[in-house]
Amino acid sequence: MAQKRIKKELVDFGKDPPTNCSAGPVGDDLFHWQATIMGPTDSPYYRGVFFLTINFPTDYPFKPPKVAFTTRIYHPNINNNGSICLDILRGQWSPALTISKVLLSICSLLTDPNPDDPLVPEIARLYKQDREKYFKVAKEWTEKYAQ
Amino acid sequence: MNADTSSASQENQQSPNDEDQTGTYECNICLETANDPVVSMCGHLFCWSCLHQWLETRPNRQTCPVCKAGISKEKVIPIYGRGNPNPQDPREKLPPRPPGQRSEPESSNPFQNFGFGGDGNFQFSFGIGAFPFGMFASTFNFNDGRPGPPLPNSPQQAEEQFLSKVFLWVAIIFIFWLLIA
Repeated sequence: MAQKRIKKELVDFGKDPPTNCSAGPVGDDLFHWQATIMGPTDSPYYRGVFFLTINFPTDYPFKPPKVAFTTRIYHPNINNNGSICLDILRGQWSPALTISKVLLSICSLLTDPNPDDPLVPEIARLYKQDREKYFKVAKEWTEKYAQ
Repeated sequence: MNADTSSASQENQQSPNDEDQTGTYECNICLETANDPVVSMCGHLFCWSCLHQWLETRPNRQTCPVCKAGISKEKVIPIYGRGNPNPQDPREKLPPRPPGQRSEPESSNPFQNFGFGGDGNFQFSFGIGAFPFGMFASTFNFNDGRPGPPLPNSPQQAEEQFLSKVFLWVAIIFIFWLLIA
């Protein structure tokens, strides 16, 4: 079931990839993918290329995939280890979601951080109190780590 | 990229039935054409086996995978197409499960369903004591690394024996009191 569904997603992803995203298996292992996200234009991550790893559990799609950034990024909902605080990757997961939709959600999280449910409280505080400075630091990180 | 999409749309035009119908009747979970199809009250189509497994995954928060509306086994409608002379409600079939999804209880102890992890660190044993009173003794046993029942000559065993003797004597005294009263 899991393998068949992942294959199907791979085909669908190839037919209609979300804008600014790419993804595919690493080597022969269908359960382990690598993805890239191009920083959205209206965000401090613009012109950055961010790499992510995706690990599918054996009971996919009933359990969410494990998605993490491997490129460092300055964001209130993404920590040093690349862990992403996103509801659909945890309790709000649904088997009707696909990797394509997950990557799209991550893209919109980059444009619109959610400082009320932060993974890195300091960045969330800066985002709320001094948006300009947050933007500047995030842009610096993008230039330093993602270009 | 552009070439891909244009060729895909050409295929659509050439065989609209094939392309459109597979999309319309795909299960929202496995993304294949629905097998033993059922439809939720909110109108979303699933294979019965897929939906059943999803409902089992979150038994206390059953929501439609597509729209998160409330959903339950009783409120989905099986769909019967033409060509099957004896349609059977897919909900009555035992849904096929991929192996290894569901860990069977290790022993026939019915109390393992309490969900203590099943690793044997928690043990719950029942013993019927003196007969006329239906007394029972229960022992909670949190000792790590000793999953079996109380070993012979262990303190628990001695305690249980002592308790059952006490109850037996209480029973005998009670019956005797009933007889002389």
